[in-house]
Amino acid sequence: MKITNTRFLLALSAIVIFTQCLTQAQPLNNPVLILNKVDDVINAPKDQDYKVKLVLIDSKGNEKEREMSMLQNGSDKRVVKFLSPADQKGIAFLSLPNDMMYLYLPAFKKTRRIASHVKNTNFAGTDFTYEDMEAIRYADKWVPDLARSENNKYVLQLSPKAAGLSDYSKLVMTVRADNFYPERIEHYNKSGKLCKIMTRDGIEQISGYWVCTESQMEDLKTKHKTRMIMTDMKLDSGIPDDKFTERFLTR
Amino acid sequence: MKKFTDFVFKFRMPIIIATILITLILGYFIKDLKINADVISSLPKSDPAVQLFNYIGEEYGGNQMAIIVLESDDIFKKETIANINNLTAKFKGVEGVSYVTSLTNVLDIKKTDDGLEIGRLIDEYKLPETAEELEHLKKYTLSKEMYRGRLVSKDGQATVLVCRLNDDVDRVKTTRQLREITQSAELQEKVYYGGLPFQLLDLQDLIVQDLKTLIPLVVLLIAGALALSFLSIRGVVLPMLSVLISTIWTMGCMSILKIPLTVVSDLIPVILVAVGSASAIHIISKYDEDHTRYGNTGAETKSAFSEVGLRVILAAATIIFGFTSFIFGSYLTMIREFGLFSALGVLFSLIISVSVIPAILSFIKIRDVRREKTGKPAIVKLMDWLGLNVLKHEKAIIIVCLVLMVVGALGIPQIKRKADLMDFFKPNSPIRLTEKMMKSKFGGSMPIQIVVQGDIQDPVVLNEMIKLEDYLESQGDATNPQSVADLIEEMSDVMGEGKKIPDNKDKVANLWFLLDGQDEVRQLVNDDKTEAIIQATVTNSERMPELVKAVETYINKIDSNHGKFVQTGFPLIYQHLDESIMSSQIESFAYALILIFILLAFQLRSFVGGLIGLAPIVFAVMMAFGVMGFAHIPLDVATVLVSSIAMGIGIDYSIHFSVRFKSFYHSSATTLEALDKTLETTGRAIIINMMTVALGFLALILCSIVPLQRFGILVAVTMISSGIGAVTFLPALILLTKAGFMGKPKGNGSANEKEKFKFVFLKEE
Repeated sequence: MKITNTRFLLALSAIVIFTQCLTQAQPLNNPVLILNKVDDVINAPKDQDYKVKLVLIDSKGNEKEREMSMLQNGSDKRVVKFLSPADQKGIAFLSLPNDMMYLYLPAFKKTRRIASHVKNTNFAGTDFTYEDMEAIRYADKWVPDLARSENNKYVLQLSPKAAGLSDYSKLVMTVRADNFYPERIEHYNKSGKLCKIMTRDGIEQISGYWVCTESQMEDLKTKHKTRMIMTDMKLDSGIPDDKFTERFLTR
Repeated sequence: MKKFTDFVFKFRMPIIIATILITLILGYFIKDLKINADVISSLPKSDPAVQLFNYIGEEYGGNQMAIIVLESDDIFKKETIANINNLTAKFKGVEGVSYVTSLTNVLDIKKTDDGLEIGRLIDEYKLPETAEELEHLKKYTLSKEMYRGRLVSKDGQATVLVCRLNDDVDRVKTTRQLREITQSAELQEKVYYGGLPFQLLDLQDLIVQDLKTLIPLVVLLIAGALALSFLSIRGVVLPMLSVLISTIWTMGCMSILKIPLTVVSDLIPVILVAVGSASAIHIISKYDEDHTRYGNTGAETKSAFSEVGLRVILAAATIIFGFTSFIFGSYLTMIREFGLFSALGVLFSLIISVSVIPAILSFIKIRDVRREKTGKPAIVKLMDWLGLNVLKHEKAIIIVCLVLMVVGALGIPQIKRKADLMDFFKPNSPIRLTEKMMKSKFGGSMPIQIVVQGDIQDPVVLNEMIKLEDYLESQGDATNPQSVADLIEEMSDVMGEGKKIPDNKDKVANLWFLLDGQDEVRQLVNDDKTEAIIQATVTNSERMPELVKAVETYINKIDSNHGKFVQTGFPLIYQHLDESIMSSQIESFAYALILIFILLAFQLRSFVGGLIGLAPIVFAVMMAFGVMGFAHIPLDVATVLVSSIAMGIGIDYSIHFSVRFKSFYHSSATTLEALDKTLETTGRAIIINMMTVALGFLALILCSIVPLQRFGILVAVTMISSGIGAVTFLPALILLTKAGFMGKPKGNGSANEKEKFKFVFLKEE
């Protein structure tokens, strides 16, 4: 009897050790948890101040550049000002919570409230739609499913929480396992076909936060690409609230 | 010739086996033969208007619009809007569709209480549902010029979904997919399919349908005619075999060379049935004739062949030259290809007639005693009667023919031209009905485009564009002009500056910022903003050439500092096509006439002989023109071929008749005897061929494609008139002029007619 008990205990401890090994090899297998971590990492800085260079590349490889400055407070207040090309200099956007968006056109010296509820409209000639530019937590909109994990990467498949929430039928997101930064997102259109691929290069740590300094969106149908390069990045610099006002737009 | 005959008889088995093998191999390739109904792809790349048109296609996401129209008593209904939304999403996913424009995804620039809204007319994620929302949508949509009469008919009862198709895709496949998607949606609304892609899809289906029904029908008709004429199995089987083999060879070659069948070249099998059978008919006819004369000695095949072979070769060569006239004188590449492959087909049927047919005939032992012994067949009696009357009334015949020719010539000024694709379809075909509906609800579907080069953000250029659009609209036939300038005006309006082009470039650039990257803009301006297009739809009418001219005059007057304006689009291309039909008619007619005259004069060794030989052909062509003028059959892509084809086939009769008559003339005691002999032998073959061919072409009346129907009627008319001309007008002229080329009748002590024939024509031996 005693022998049996000892054997049982041995077997049990073996199982426990084995299970622990398994858990260490696969630290996370809960897709919801992974997606929440993704959202936390992306939205970690309290405020952001940076310049963006947009490079628009057409199917023949011709490039066009645009520059803008971006101020962001939290995840729902944002000011974008165009710096170049010359004929677009001074055009500014302000987006505030509850879908409030203002546009300033310098040649008219007028600010207009603009409603752009349309998700699938491309933003300023880029391959990003207004939906792609939305400052929103992924977990609020998508239900994740862990497709696979490999080579220190998680591959999540995201399906919309409700019909009509997104112009895409699904996203396939590749997340780095070390810092939970998403480095590739495949966008599938309504007929379930892969239509756009977003890739993020230059994922680095600035002021203790993980940020991405270069990303690219490619439209597979038009073969048009947009590269976004972020420079002069200042995080948590304490941007005052009065920068996110209509009056600031005109300045 | 004799050497060749010996060769054929010596190697008759290898010849038959080789033919079977070649036929099997080429026949195998026919499975890859493509059909291309796209008339646009046949436009010559050298025409600047075509170049510009193709350029627009490449730069602006294609210039072919597949249009799906939904019609009901009111399209502003919950279900209909949902259907449109559903179809729009599905169409977008179809490969080859670059843009879709419909009520549920069209760009909308809206003034709101405290600002502006740039978005879609209908939010696809929040479709209007309540009666109130729908009523509001209807009111708003119909109040805006951007939509009224363009996207939705003024009465709100019809709406269009416009799919722009990429240039570099299989458009037929894409269009078919669009139709299948629409059909599977099982809509309550009435659906119409319009625009060039759907027209071409229908045309393609009609070609296939026609080929499937017509070829068996033509084969049956001709077999019947042959059976009646020859009263023997070989008389039916051998000519049909020659046609079948030459058709398979031609189609096989087209497939290997990747030349698709077009609306014109699908006539090739019918042409080969008609023309290709002629050589075989003459050989068999001569064979029968000699068989009667010499009995079943086994040598009859050889003799028949030696004598008739040369005539057959000369006639086929002339027809081949006739068809080559299309290769040089045509605007449309599909007509050039038609000329080339018809010529090749005739060459094949000639090769088969002089090799395979005699090889097969040499195996046949004829047991039957000729039916002539129990009385002459009707056709021979007819010929006897004809001979007598031609001799008696030569002058009357000539006068009647001349009068008929003059009457025919009077019809020429009445002949109309039609270059329009719509004209291909029967009046009650779905495509024509769609066009009619589009005309009444939306004002035409044919695109006219004007390319503007310059700084498109410059208000001066934009204003010039607006002025041109106004001018287009004032012309009545052009509707819904559209350009980026309209969008700028809309934007200016919502910025509170009124619906006009802003006064400085900075303002334009600011407004442009919001439009950048929108589908609507990409279809109208290039990326660098140095080039834009103005497009409008044109109602198809007789007034189109005037519109083209008016626009041309207008844009020539525009100050060159205000941008460079160039016209293209369908009206202009149709005009070029129209002009080309006329010039290629004249060119290929003249070319064929000269060539045939040279060949005839050479063969008869006489200038006058050449002229006389031409007479029945000119007679036949005049008859065809007369019928076209008085029966209102227009010149179109198919009927333009008639005169040259008629010449090619008609010359066959002239050569066979005059050469044979000449040889009988030398061996006969009297002119009547010579004429009788010619009519009973070659005349009989001509009449058989004439009836066969005319019947074959008349079958084209059952075609679904209108130009081919007309073509069938006209070729039948020309065949009958040239056949009759050859057995009446031609001998009457020869007798009247006592043409020197005929030489002298028997009496100068010449040997039998065959020897004489060889003496005159076979000097090469």
